Amino acid sequence: MNWRNETIFVTGATGFIGGRVCERLIQAGGPRVRTLVHGMHRAPRIARMPVELCPGDLQDKESLRRALRDAKIVIHCGLGPASTVVRGTENILQVALAAGVQRFVHISTAAVYGITPLPGSETEDAPLRHTGDPYCDNKAAAEKVVLDYGKRGLPVVILRPSIVWGPYSAWSTRLIEDLRAGHVAFIDAGRGACNTTYVDNLIDAMLLGVENDAALNQVFLITDGERITWGDFIRAHVALLAAPPEVQEMTRAEIEASRGKKSGMVMGSVKAMARVARSKPFREMLLQIPLTEAAMKKAWNWVGSMPPEKRERMRARFGVKRAATRSANSKFIPDEVTEATQSTTVFFSIEKARKTLGYQPRVQFTDGMKRVEQWLRYAAYL
Amino acid sequence: MTDRIRLAILGCGAITRSEHIPAVNAHPGVELVALVDTDTSRANALIQSRGLACKAVADYRNLFGQVDALINALPNHLHVGSNLDCLGAGVHVLCEKPLAITAAEARSCTEFAEQKNLVLAVGMNRRFAASHPLLKLVIAEGLLGNLQSYDFQYGGAFDWRSASGFYFERSKAGGGALVDFGVHMLDSVIDWFGPVTAFDYQDDDWGSGIEANLFLDVKHAGKFGDVQGHLRLSRTFQLPNRLLVQGSAASAEISVQDPEVVVIHREIAGVPVSQTLRLENFAGTSSYWRQLDNFVQSVRNHTKPEVDGWQAVRVLELIESCYANKKRIAEPWSEIDSKPRSIEDHKVSAPTTNEARA
Repeated sequence: MNWRNETIFVTGATGFIGGRVCERLIQAGGPRVRTLVHGMHRAPRIARMPVELCPGDLQDKESLRRALRDAKIVIHCGLGPASTVVRGTENILQVALAAGVQRFVHISTAAVYGITPLPGSETEDAPLRHTGDPYCDNKAAAEKVVLDYGKRGLPVVILRPSIVWGPYSAWSTRLIEDLRAGHVAFIDAGRGACNTTYVDNLIDAMLLGVENDAALNQVFLITDGERITWGDFIRAHVALLAAPPEVQEMTRAEIEASRGKKSGMVMGSVKAMARVARSKPFREMLLQIPLTEAAMKKAWNWVGSMPPEKRERMRARFGVKRAATRSANSKFIPDEVTEATQSTTVFFSIEKARKTLGYQPRVQFTDGMKRVEQWLRYAAYL
Repeated sequence: MTDRIRLAILGCGAITRSEHIPAVNAHPGVELVALVDTDTSRANALIQSRGLACKAVADYRNLFGQVDALINALPNHLHVGSNLDCLGAGVHVLCEKPLAITAAEARSCTEFAEQKNLVLAVGMNRRFAASHPLLKLVIAEGLLGNLQSYDFQYGGAFDWRSASGFYFERSKAGGGALVDFGVHMLDSVIDWFGPVTAFDYQDDDWGSGIEANLFLDVKHAGKFGDVQGHLRLSRTFQLPNRLLVQGSAASAEISVQDPEVVVIHREIAGVPVSQTLRLENFAGTSSYWRQLDNFVQSVRNHTKPEVDGWQAVRVLELIESCYANKKRIAEPWSEIDSKPRSIEDHKVSAPTTNEARA
């Protein structure tokens, strides 16, 4: 369908991806953009644009009905705590079906294959496995709900992007901060597959998913289609620094050995999150969680179930320094999540998206890094 | 008027909760008579949670005759009407910044207060941080030599939990970052360096929105000569959050996070040194308390408050000029052909070699 003269409803609009979705739609000049805003104070980026800010919560169906109204297209980037991803997604699906929405684009994640996708996960038809990670497993479960609504008549499209990067992305801002702090290592010579997905490429895929009827009820892996490794990604950011740090190399075997019985990464993570839990902003955040879930145990589970990048953003937001585990010879030891994220050998295929959607990633890594550098300078990171 | 000034606070939002109530509670010269909020349950909840001995009122007009003064902490767009109502009823007003949405409205409030011979003070609490008068002293005494320029940056992730959410509607807020914190910065630099005679303003409003980021280059022509200033403000990015004033002999620094001191940077025999200055015997526990105290003294003694309506008018006039002459900040990273390729727009290409390998 043609989205250019429609009202498009964007969830997660105050986040990195949703914010850029709004920018792109406004740049396109045609559609009316309506956004779901959970926490008005997070809206400065999108409040710069002629978009409608609708207060609401994915957990509150009535607020979704009020916000969605006559929108015919939904781009669902919203997330919320991992434990509520499925329910939140089902809520917006239910409201969208009742409202006669004509396209529902669900932004899933390649993490449905786990933080470290195993060989054999290169294509959409690879079976999803239970990973034990709440974020991965809940996002996988949410996909099933979306497909179920597809069978019930809601025209749905599911996109599975991998490492979504670009201006405003924590993948770059945290990396810059970690490089300055000496908290980065090339794991196994940085050979791990990064599977970069430049945010504008992802948005191209979203809009193609809206336009193209062949996309309905389909799942698409989306990346930049380049074999960028974590070494490439890290080195490109090192080159931006006025005083480039020397990034050490570590093998996974060395990391495991250095960790020893202390399980430094797990304990480091727990300690860091304990500091988060004691912080005032965290306690204030608890007030935003429905009462039944405000019990400390559930909140703790919620923190623990965040995707790694969100957990990192939370730590950064609360000023909690990540526990920098060091080996006996003072070498920095990457934490468990970083190690897992950077250890996959799987480069996802975007063949299905190319063939069915006509998707062509037009921002390549070099161009993307130029844009990221421009933005990092503007945003005072460099 | 009784011994203590009978005071009400209009609006039970974030600033009332965090600043005005503590200041009022700590001031011996005022008696808090009422909290006013159209949602009286919110006012009552605040009264209970803070243990206040005052009443909750939905309509401030019901308080006329029972209060001498009030603090107006309503959303920006409600300032002018309520200010005029209250002044008309003979009530002195300390109005949160901005005094009004437009300079014309601010002027009407100011003129009306003069006509009624009442105090209209404007809540520019930064003026009551010790660093403000300290820097004035430093400049006046020539400790920096000839003034040359300054760089004033303030920014971080926006975290103001406004109860009404009016901040993101231009019709209610009057603007974005420039109206919100920019009024403080402009009020301060005009007070330090004199009137602005030239400016160049850029912000990131994409049209019909409100700015989150801005750059403002100004030229002052005051009693210390021409001073060039660069101001940067952000609601999205962490900035240094400091003012750095460069003089021919030394520079002075004020941190937004520690506004009670001024740090002087200079050289002694070529060796860089710094010196932290603080005011001794500076009264009060917070800038809001000092602001309230100044208001109380003005009401009692019929004197001009530290920040009166005319000073607010000049800042709002500058802000209006900025908006009227604004340029858009270049965002080259976001420039991309807004039309995504559609399946009709191109032929489907063969997989790349890399992909084929994958």
